[in-house]
Amino acid sequence: MAERASKGKLRSLLDSVKSVLYGMAGHDMARFALKTRGSMEHLFILITMGDLLGIPILPPYYSLRLLPYVVPQISTWKRRMLRERDLTDALA
Amino acid sequence: MSLARIFQENPERRYIMFGGKGGLGKTTFSAATGYWLAQQGYKVLVFSVDPQASLSDIFQQDIFGKGPVEIMPNLFAQEVDADRRIREYQEEIRQKILDMYGLEKVPDEIEDYIQAAAAEPAMEESAIFDQVVDIVLSGEYDYYIYDLVPLGHALYYLSMASVYDQWIEKITKLREEMQEYAQVAALLQREDELEEDKILAELQDIRYRISTSSSILTDREKTAFFFVLVPEEMVLVDTLKAAELFAKYQVPISGYIVNRVLPPELEEQDIPEYLRHRIEMQKKYLAEIDRLFGDQVLARIPEFERDVTGLDMIRRMAEAMFGGAA
Repeated sequence: MAERASKGKLRSLLDSVKSVLYGMAGHDMARFALKTRGSMEHLFILITMGDLLGIPILPPYYSLRLLPYVVPQISTWKRRMLRERDLTDALA
Repeated sequence: MSLARIFQENPERRYIMFGGKGGLGKTTFSAATGYWLAQQGYKVLVFSVDPQASLSDIFQQDIFGKGPVEIMPNLFAQEVDADRRIREYQEEIRQKILDMYGLEKVPDEIEDYIQAAAAEPAMEESAIFDQVVDIVLSGEYDYYIYDLVPLGHALYYLSMASVYDQWIEKITKLREEMQEYAQVAALLQREDELEEDKILAELQDIRYRISTSSSILTDREKTAFFFVLVPEEMVLVDTLKAAELFAKYQVPISGYIVNRVLPPELEEQDIPEYLRHRIEMQKKYLAEIDRLFGDQVLARIPEFERDVTGLDMIRRMAEAMFGGAA
């Protein structure tokens, strides 16, 4: 019983250490990776669904096949593509 | 070399195409070849990718947009209805969106896009192309006979495959790169399982379809492409140009068939000057055709006394093309 409790404590301590380490080193990298992926996602939608903004896209037939998967992203993508940009964008 | 021998010596060539300028007899030859092969016990599908298809006319049966229709035992014919295909496809997309997100109605913005996309100029060709991929991939028949559209369109169709292939390749690469970033993030955040990228899966499927279809078109082992021409100067010049272009796309040309040849024995009869001149003219171009294509000329088909429609005439045409023994 006591042994199990101490094992549990050890595990939670280990988890905390892992989290601290992740916060110190990994989090920024993960954030960067996700942010890059997000940008690429918008680029992807642009080259497949550009027609939504009036940019003609090569084969609309196959674009349509991808449409269902990007439906939730369409509005954020449009906002991002069409919004005005300024210097503070570079700091984000 | 005769046309029948080409088929007998290359039994693995299961995709048969007739190409040439409009109105020279591609549909007639497709139908007659289908008839001949079906008579020998092969299961054959003759299908048309021409929006103004004429298989219905030649078989004297309305088959437009009805899927494969059995004309006689072993012989099936199909005319692709591109408009209907597009409508069904749009509906599939709508339904998928509704199912995926549990929506009652497709959002306006998305609906507008779906409708606008259908009006794009390349849409019809793409829809036909995609349907052909379906037909060919199904593998239900021993022989597939493509009743091709006139030359310019056929080339467009072939080049479309390569453009699509490149487009898909580029965006697949981008998608794969995106997946790598997602993996890095998942690893750092110690998430065990990364959700499968459905878009990537779709892209890979599209790519598979396109490359299979275009590789069949250009596969020397499996495909026989025949040029149809008539002994007239303009047709000859155009055929030479087209043959060059087709060679560029690596379409394997199996030979040439000369159609509408006036029977030379007519000359011995008492015929009007007009007809005599026509025969003289044809003789000149037939010699030219022989000089240019040599033993690649597989058959000379006589001009019939009436148009080729209905199975009886198709049978006569098949005899003229392949010889009597069916």
